Amino acid sequence: MENLKISENKMNLNNELLSEDQKDILQEIMNIAFGNATADLADVIDIYVELSVPAIELINTGELSGYIDRSLNSYTNAFIISQKFLGDFNGHGLFVFPNGAGHDLVAIIEDTVTKDLNSSPAASLEKEIIMEIGNILIGACVGKISELLNTAVIYSPPKAIIGKSTEFDSFIDSFVPLQTVIAMKTVFKFLQKDINGFIVVLTDQESIKWLKTALDKFMESYQ
Amino acid sequence: MIQKILIVDDSPVARKMLKASIPKDKEYEIYEACNGKEGIEKFKEVSPDITFMDLTMPVLDGYKAIPELRKINPHAIVIVCSADVQPKSIAEVFSLGALTVLKKPAKTESVQNVMDQANGKLKNLREQNESKQ
Ligand SMILES: [Mg+2]
Repeated sequence: MENLKISENKMNLNNELLSEDQKDILQEIMNIAFGNATADLADVIDIYVELSVPAIELINTGELSGYIDRSLNSYTNAFIISQKFLGDFNGHGLFVFPNGAGHDLVAIIEDTVTKDLNSSPAASLEKEIIMEIGNILIGACVGKISELLNTAVIYSPPKAIIGKSTEFDSFIDSFVPLQTVIAMKTVFKFLQKDINGFIVVLTDQESIKWLKTALDKFMESYQ
Repeated sequence: MIQKILIVDDSPVARKMLKASIPKDKEYEIYEACNGKEGIEKFKEVSPDITFMDLTMPVLDGYKAIPELRKINPHAIVIVCSADVQPKSIAEVFSLGALTVLKKPAKTESVQNVMDQANGKLKNLREQNESKQ
């Protein structure tokens, strides 16, 4: 009974924050944005990304850590590239995949990376390449969302967070507690090496009001 | 000339956006399906003149649905309308027999262009059929 009450409350909260129609619009916008981002990535690196249908979820900042764990499934350790963006549209872009898979990722693109990267030691090479791929995908994805919603954002430099480290904790702590964020997630697969990962765009609560209006406006042009 | 249009896309928003971009020069019969499997059923049922096909869909994706449509009708005109515009994806759908690829969000102008292209193809097919008879 108690549980039922909680989930009912949660549902009401969700409906209030984002209507089903607005969720559908956001889902398609994320689909377009990440599709475009992978094509942008293919321009610089010979890589093929298998896409999936995006999922839109409203989550409490307190559940964020659990949300990432849940999304990672069987993987215990995550390698996260996080990039903050600011504007009307405010939030974080996360590029997440299992720690250790970076080695395979490096193998895929070894031929296309520049010489100065090759002179770096293996571990830092891996980190640099993942940072770069994460940066391209997050930037292109968030950039396309902003473009479709008729706004522009500025980015802070990408940060790497490896495993359940102090960086991970301070990332989670950087969110205002007890706020609701919108998580737009697309799971993808780097086909050559069968590496699964996902990208999440988290919209801060302060942007949700703006976002709702922008989504409605976006759809008006297609009436 | 195009009369019946089938739109296969899992997103109701994407279907709405595409419908809004279809030229208003005449009244088309527009049918919709929300995944590849439903798309195949609808295709059998209404025999559309052209099919707009998304790629990333649950149940059955566009890559698997296109060959099925072409099995039912080897001359089926399929226009892929997708957010997945990686060069490899585009090459793949062309090899499956798609007429062309529209990048989402599709503009009215490009929808008009592909429909002109499809009309040309339909005309050729009709002429070929007539000369055979
Ligand atoms: Mg889709």
